[in-house]
Amino acid sequence: MRPWMAAATKACALVLLIALCVAILLGATAHTPSLELRPLAEFYLENCLNPYDKAKWAASPEAVTAMLWDYRGLDTVFETTVFFLAIIGSVALFRFAEVSLASYESKLRERREEGLSIIVRVVTRIVFVLIVALSAAIALHGHLTPGGGFQAGSIFAVAPLLAIAAFSRRFVEGLGLTKNSCLAIRTTGLLFIALVALIPLALALAGVGAFIIQNQSKPWTPEFPGYPAQLGPVWLAGSLILFNVAEFLTVGSGFTLLFLLLALPEDFFRRLVKR
Amino acid sequence: MMEYFAQALWIYMYAVLVAIVAVAIYGVVARPNIVKKIIALTILADTANTFMIFIGYRLGSTAPPVLTTLSPSRADIAGFVASAVDPVPQCLVITAIVINMAVTALLVFLAIQAYWLHRTLVAGLVSKLRG
Amino acid sequence: MIPQFLSPFLELLLAFSLTLALVLAYFAIVQRDLVKAAVLSAGQSVAYAFTYYLLAAPDILFAYIPIAVGIYTVLLLYAVSKTERFEEGG
Repeated sequence: MRPWMAAATKACALVLLIALCVAILLGATAHTPSLELRPLAEFYLENCLNPYDKAKWAASPEAVTAMLWDYRGLDTVFETTVFFLAIIGSVALFRFAEVSLASYESKLRERREEGLSIIVRVVTRIVFVLIVALSAAIALHGHLTPGGGFQAGSIFAVAPLLAIAAFSRRFVEGLGLTKNSCLAIRTTGLLFIALVALIPLALALAGVGAFIIQNQSKPWTPEFPGYPAQLGPVWLAGSLILFNVAEFLTVGSGFTLLFLLLALPEDFFRRLVKR
Repeated sequence: MMEYFAQALWIYMYAVLVAIVAVAIYGVVARPNIVKKIIALTILADTANTFMIFIGYRLGSTAPPVLTTLSPSRADIAGFVASAVDPVPQCLVITAIVINMAVTALLVFLAIQAYWLHRTLVAGLVSKLRG
Repeated sequence: MIPQFLSPFLELLLAFSLTLALVLAYFAIVQRDLVKAAVLSAGQSVAYAFTYYLLAAPDILFAYIPIAVGIYTVLLLYAVSKTERFEEGG
């Protein structure tokens, strides 16, 4: 490669990058925020909780969660599939990581070298309980105020992460969050999502009128009554609360699995690499 | 005069976002370390999501797309439609955040695995080593 | 989502938080110590979270803060602790 070719490549790359930036800037400034909304957004905002027109409603005052799990529910089902495949890929890559870890950890325990200092441990005990309670609250009211399954699962994943750093991996496994139990909880969550989404489809194939991921009853499929929007004074938004709780279990246990796999002690890992 | 200043600030914000995209693309292409490439990739994905939220904002409103009562009257619904921001980009961005996070987690695991096998994190060298 | 007395200053606050994000992103990418780069990228995510708050997107805020500040930073720190801390020079 002659030396002028390297400089010419860099010049071409710079020109291309500047052209791309100018194109994005010119295209984006045509959309400086306007005072009107697009008609699709007005449809969703008007009909997500409209008791005067129950043919189009999703029984939830929260437009974004209603769109995620009712109006555009198929997008979310496939996104859950992508997340599931990523976790499976990570578990498969690190499947040799549990070999002879127990004896190494017992040596560390004898030398009292695991975990952090006592100040960190006391604060982590308090914060752990707060995080778990907050994430359960966000999952359960995701159909009424901003929140939902993904948000709650991500917040929940921070708690075992702190516990692994401040105490040790063995402590978190003693709490009941081993690799196999996390896999079991994740599979339960995914089965629940599949059930709630596919029961109307099974009914449709059996002859009763329904469609996949159906939430409330529609006038063109009158035989399926839909999931209940209200049980006495409690407002369940049909299938939205079931989806939120199942997604919370799935996402929270998936992240915990990732951190349990990554939390190998550094010396142990380097010894594995040298072998 | 204040409206012109506000308009100029909106165009400045788009220019700043484009500058972050340029810096992130430089980071992905020109830095040889795999972990630095992963950092630049997450910055690029987050900036694309922020673009989408910008396009969905409604000028002058500070209300999120959440109704505040469980039994709205027609006037409540009309006021809600006239004052809330666009919920469609927010739904798409939540999906995009979760998918990008799944891909990044897998990339980090692959980077650690590549170091385990090849003892180096320089992207050019990893592709040249064989077996 | 911001209180009423702050709404005349919305564009100024947005411009401030995005400029902060640009400065932190630039320093995160040219920094050679990968631990500092991970912490700077967490700072840039906090600037983006403030932007989402100003643009009235609370669902995204609840999803973005634990993922970008919690999970990405920890994944990167785990990767750095199991591989090498400094980038190659030159």
